[in-house]
Amino acid sequence: MMRLLRVELRRLWARRVTRWASAVVLLLVALGAFTAYQTAKPPSAQQIAEAKQFYADELEWWESEGEQAVAECAEGAEAEGMTPAEWGCENMEPRLENYLPPTQTFVPSAEQLEESSGAAEAAPEGEEPAPNAAAVQEIQQSVWHDWGGLGTLDELAALLLMVALVVGVSFVTAEVNSGSMGMWLTFEPRRRRVYWSKAAAAALGTVPLVAVGFGLLVGTSYAAYASFDALGTMTGDVWVQVAGFAGRLVAAGALAAVIGVALGILLKHAAAAVGLVAAGVWASAVFAYPLGELQRWLPTTNVTAWLNGGNVFVVDDCAPDADGMFVCTQAEHVVTAGQGGLYLLVAGVVIALLSVVVFRRRDVS
Amino acid sequence: MAVLDGADLAIETRGLRKTYRSVRGRSVGVEGLDLRVPVGGVHGFLGPNGSGKTTTIRMLLGLVRPDRGTATIFGHEVPKRLPEVVGRVGAIVESPKFFPSFSARRNLLLLADGIGAPRARVDAVLDEVGLTGRAKDRYKGYSLGMKQRLAIAATLLKDPDLLIFDEPTNGLDPAGIREIRQTMRGLADQGKTVLVSSHILAEVEQIADTVSIVARGRLVASGRVADLIGEGAGASSVRVRVAPEDTTIATSVLESGGLLVRREHDALLVDGAGDAAQVNRALGERGVWVRELTPMQADLESVFLGLTAHETPGGHTHRGERTKRGGPPPEPAHSAQPGPTTEVGA
Repeated sequence: MMRLLRVELRRLWARRVTRWASAVVLLLVALGAFTAYQTAKPPSAQQIAEAKQFYADELEWWESEGEQAVAECAEGAEAEGMTPAEWGCENMEPRLENYLPPTQTFVPSAEQLEESSGAAEAAPEGEEPAPNAAAVQEIQQSVWHDWGGLGTLDELAALLLMVALVVGVSFVTAEVNSGSMGMWLTFEPRRRRVYWSKAAAAALGTVPLVAVGFGLLVGTSYAAYASFDALGTMTGDVWVQVAGFAGRLVAAGALAAVIGVALGILLKHAAAAVGLVAAGVWASAVFAYPLGELQRWLPTTNVTAWLNGGNVFVVDDCAPDADGMFVCTQAEHVVTAGQGGLYLLVAGVVIALLSVVVFRRRDVS
Repeated sequence: MAVLDGADLAIETRGLRKTYRSVRGRSVGVEGLDLRVPVGGVHGFLGPNGSGKTTTIRMLLGLVRPDRGTATIFGHEVPKRLPEVVGRVGAIVESPKFFPSFSARRNLLLLADGIGAPRARVDAVLDEVGLTGRAKDRYKGYSLGMKQRLAIAATLLKDPDLLIFDEPTNGLDPAGIREIRQTMRGLADQGKTVLVSSHILAEVEQIADTVSIVARGRLVASGRVADLIGEGAGASSVRVRVAPEDTTIATSVLESGGLLVRREHDALLVDGAGDAAQVNRALGERGVWVRELTPMQADLESVFLGLTAHETPGGHTHRGERTKRGGPPPEPAHSAQPGPTTEVGA
């Protein structure tokens, strides 16, 4: 088995598609670095001058019309049965930072994390906090929650999984369609061994691709923020979170390659296998919200949960109130990293076993 | 029954059957095939296109599952016990597939590592097929003949006792065909068993010791080449050309002598004549002078065409195709229809 694995690894790395995949990874790294540079870059003197001018104009308006605007705001809040603070009437005064181009740090500040998690917002008076409030807050306070430079990397990192899947798909469909699978089976007819050696080679072969890709993504992004002295509060805990994400990403990448091999064997054509996955991802993105609680079982929900250390999805909870009015509130649901990982593992094992059965029984041309 | 029955068998199939399902229904690839390939020598596996040769080979190699029947290689049931015997079998099924950007040597090293063959074996087999000088060239730069020789080299990595070649000369030029033919004969002379499927009869006739002829997935004949041709020779024909005004009388003379005469364009084909001189004498005695007298010796092709008549797609025979001699094809020496096997031998 080890002999077969070594041969399959050599085959994998000799393939042109693998080299193209490496190029795509480098492209993603370049895209990540460019995005980091753009977001870390402080505003130029011209941007600051324009912002100050705009701020001065707004301040002038505020001094003449501000009181009336606040009063109108308070009336509006009262009409809606809310306090002026809840309606945002206390934050109407223009502030210079609101007119400057947004900048962010590599790691979000504690204030940003609190703001994003809603921790600053207390539960409505008279209501118990949701039972999963703590879990929601913990997930939303992670560095991967879209605040700061690190948080923008998770989506690019997820694309590395797609690269791994394509490598796995292509690895077997090329052999099936060229006929070299048949030739190889005349040398090694034990199909189960052949299958698992290919699946293992795809998994192991894509590990460096995903690991190095993610390392470069983090490294170049870090360098871009560091060059503008915008790293934020880099603590040991941040690096632990990065290492954890990297580990989970590499594991998911290996699984994606195995699933790619399985789909390639089942569907026999690379376009069909990759198209099926792409269509699934697209459909998950477009039709997730109407699915309500079923979002829990979407692959994308679970991939995100596994990578980011948990995922939160929102479900509309609609019911008639005391007056018979139909009122909807949004409930946040949590998918933990463990649940996401288990989901992916089970899905991968089921697809792989199905594929083995088909590969063992199917005639090879 | 046949010479092949008493021999040690490299390959034996019994009642092998394979059907294919498609949207247009089921089609039979192989129908109850009983094949026996003796150990040693070259065994030609002949049949028209679509007669089930490649399907049979694929079943022997475990690439395709038979619906029914059994197959053994050196006494090991396949595909169940194929792993036990695969080390003794080298095979090329249709076109060889290698990494185009790898050199021949690197391609073989990959295969050798996969099966645990010593690396020194790679150079040995490259030498054996005459590719040592081009071993470092990329596979994609190889000619068809070189690709085929490399495929043979790959099969030799295991130093197999049985070599299975499926249409190994397809697409090759005459020089390439001769090279492959010599290689196959050379391997058989080393004591290996070579099974070669082909529909190029002249090629197989030159190197095969024994043959099996299949049509529509069934065995229609098997035995030694010499025996098959010998049986055909007993029923060989003579082509007679006389002056056009003598054709009628010549026909009458020969038929009155108990011979079967058929018109073929401006000539007469006399079946079962045996001796051309007998025809010449009979006509001369009646004052009919012969302008041309050609004994039509049976060859493997005529045997093959006779046995597989009406078995080619569309129900046509191979009449009109090129023959070994380059002239018009001879009439089939046999008129056997598919069904009962014609076994020839001692």
